Amino acid sequence: MYDYMATTDRVPVTVLTGFLGSGKTTLLNRILSENHGKRIAVIENEFGEVGIDHQLVIGAEEEIFETNNGCICCTVRGDLLRILGQLLKRRDKFDYIMVETTGMADPGPVAQTFFLDDEFKQQFLLDAIVTVIDAHHIEKHLDEMKEPGEQVAFADVILLNKIDLVGEAELERIERRIRAINGTAKIFRTRNADLPIERVLDVGAFDLDRALAVDSAFLEPQYPFEWAGLYELPAGRHELRTGGDTHDHHDHHDHEHHHDGKCDHDDHHHHDHEHHGHDHAHEGGLAVALLSAGAGESTAALAECIEPAVRAFAEEGSQIACGGTLKPANTTYRVDVGHDGSHFHVEIANAGRYALVVEHAPIEFGLRIEGAKPIAERRFASHHHDEEISSIGLTDPRAVDPNKLNDWLSYLLKSRGADIFRMKGVVSIKGEPRRYVFHGVHMMFDGQLERPWPADADRMNTLVFIGRNLDRQELEAGFHSCFA
Amino acid sequence: MKTPPALLEPRGKVAIDDYIVDIAWSTDGSRLAVAGGEGKICSIENGEGSLAASEVGSHGLGALAVAWHPKNAMFVSSGQDCEVRLYDATDGNVLVRQRPSKAWTTYLAFSPDGSQLASAAGKQISIWNEQLELQHALPPLEGAIAALAFDKSGRDLAAAINGGVVVHRLEAPRFPVRHYRWAAPCITANFSGNGKFLATGTQDGSVHFWYLATGRDSQMRGYPGKVDQLGWSGDSRYLATAAADRVVVWDFGGKGPEGSSPIQLSGHTDRIECLAYQPRGSFLATAGLDWRLSLWLPGKFSTAIDAHLTDSEPSCLRWSPDGRFLALGERKGKLSVFELVRI
Repeated sequence: MYDYMATTDRVPVTVLTGFLGSGKTTLLNRILSENHGKRIAVIENEFGEVGIDHQLVIGAEEEIFETNNGCICCTVRGDLLRILGQLLKRRDKFDYIMVETTGMADPGPVAQTFFLDDEFKQQFLLDAIVTVIDAHHIEKHLDEMKEPGEQVAFADVILLNKIDLVGEAELERIERRIRAINGTAKIFRTRNADLPIERVLDVGAFDLDRALAVDSAFLEPQYPFEWAGLYELPAGRHELRTGGDTHDHHDHHDHEHHHDGKCDHDDHHHHDHEHHGHDHAHEGGLAVALLSAGAGESTAALAECIEPAVRAFAEEGSQIACGGTLKPANTTYRVDVGHDGSHFHVEIANAGRYALVVEHAPIEFGLRIEGAKPIAERRFASHHHDEEISSIGLTDPRAVDPNKLNDWLSYLLKSRGADIFRMKGVVSIKGEPRRYVFHGVHMMFDGQLERPWPADADRMNTLVFIGRNLDRQELEAGFHSCFA
Repeated sequence: MKTPPALLEPRGKVAIDDYIVDIAWSTDGSRLAVAGGEGKICSIENGEGSLAASEVGSHGLGALAVAWHPKNAMFVSSGQDCEVRLYDATDGNVLVRQRPSKAWTTYLAFSPDGSQLASAAGKQISIWNEQLELQHALPPLEGAIAALAFDKSGRDLAAAINGGVVVHRLEAPRFPVRHYRWAAPCITANFSGNGKFLATGTQDGSVHFWYLATGRDSQMRGYPGKVDQLGWSGDSRYLATAAADRVVVWDFGGKGPEGSSPIQLSGHTDRIECLAYQPRGSFLATAGLDWRLSLWLPGKFSTAIDAHLTDSEPSCLRWSPDGRFLALGERKGKLSVFELVRI
């Protein structure tokens, strides 16, 4: 398990995935034409017309090799083995290699190519898997096909491209959904795949020393809600509304005609919400809670509401149809946001501070209390369980027995290797001053002892799994069995 | 300890200033053609104790293969510029240039009588005449070709692909095909000289062979990694393979290798990169990342009978067709020629 690899002179490789039309080729051409002083060899998925001085552009036809008698976790790209093998046969190595996959490619075999072959392990350093996403179409693609989800799951860097074609609310929703699949990738919003080149090259995502620069929010405890805001509300009746972007001024006059609590206006005028509901159908409504908050500094006052909010969200909550009324209470309401322009009454008996806690980010629904602005707000890590592919992060300070860890990881790779796309971890081994760091792609595994822990107090196990049908309890129980 | 029956005597060295990826000998052993990974094609004269190299061309960013015509003073080269070229070996002039494919032509093989040249680019095999005129483009195979070899008679052409070895009988217009299937990425194709066997090494660490008469097949497993170096002894009794730092030799004498343990030859201390059995002979040469060139006589000696240190990592090893000379190419561009001297 303690596998030391030669780290000198390895040529970094970036794998570029993304659907046709996502902007993958635009990014590639930008990288090739930018004056970065690197000699780059590009392996394209077809014979392109890109020809740049001193850069080698090679057309390749993706060919999947199943080795070890067809074990799906041991599939590699045969064409890459051949072409990269050929590129090694020179004294002046290329500075960088980029591998572009076809739109429908599963990134697994590409990544595994760099793990399976000993010679490749010595010669190449898989730097990062970069996935380019067309923001305008990604939701539909995620709903209809398995490949886009896999490409998101495998990514170290995600370009959420073509953001000029979608609204802010939609972007928030997409980003949340991407986060639910892949909790650790760096996400950049781009137009025309335009971003500083260092965001995608020399990222060091597979560098064990930098293995776990995980967004800390992903490792935070899970909350059943994503947003909370603190409001100062005078006594009286307020309006809680949804609909479009909050700065959008929609004509809501037709609401006047409905007094039975049912709204039936059509929602065709909000074409940017067409894809709504695949991800969160909300048949039962959007869960919200309205809690009395204390005085004092506003952020602290909001923080004090989190505990009561967790308790409130544990309750089933009552359904409120459009036009219904909410009051401050230690329970949740499930408000009907099935269409745009829903509205609800908020009855405040006593003027004061109130926390509105919402299951999903309000910006997605344009949810707001009319005439009131939050004096403090906080976002919480989103944890969705409705994606087939998801990320699970585990943290625990307890030291681990290396043999037990080895047994568990071996078992996990054998039994769940096909479903686990990526895994990374920094582990505190009992009696070992250095951090044990590992990463894996399917069953391919690489780990070693790295820098020492700065202090015993800093020892913390951090493990991240990205995969299909992952079971948090199973992973947690397995990891807990490794404690020394 | 028995006295070794032969030694390798150095006969010259020359620097090519390129990573040597392929070497081809003229039939009489008087000349060589060398392909460099950064593009160079060189013609080399194997004089009395000295080598004289001249650069005859370049294939842009990289050369891939060279092959010498079995009878005439001509050789061919291919490269990453996607060209295949025919040279006059006497003056190094390019006689013909072809661009058979948008893919790299990675393998070149002349039929034993020299009447046909086979080339492989991606999934495509092309058959050329001696003037490098295209005669036939065979239907594309199921996968990209990883090795190309004629049998001794020149009638059959084997191509290794993912999933087996495909053998074409070179009879126009039908080019009957036989598939020797094996569900693994096959990366070499090696006919035995006696026409009885076809062997292949695989990416996933095994050697597979077929009895050509019956199609019956057999597998040898247990290799630590891909098996890309295979060679038959001249009498077809031994199949030598490289497994990490050891030479593993299967004995096809008697009842054959099935159920038997192979001969294992130790001596290298790092991965064997090149392995070449002497044509029509019984001496085996290997070169490894331990910068060592070793000479073996499998079946008779269990240790190397001679060894030489190289100047850098070896990258290519080729016997002259008459089995008298051995050329060693290195990653840093050194080309050395040794003569096998009987004692």
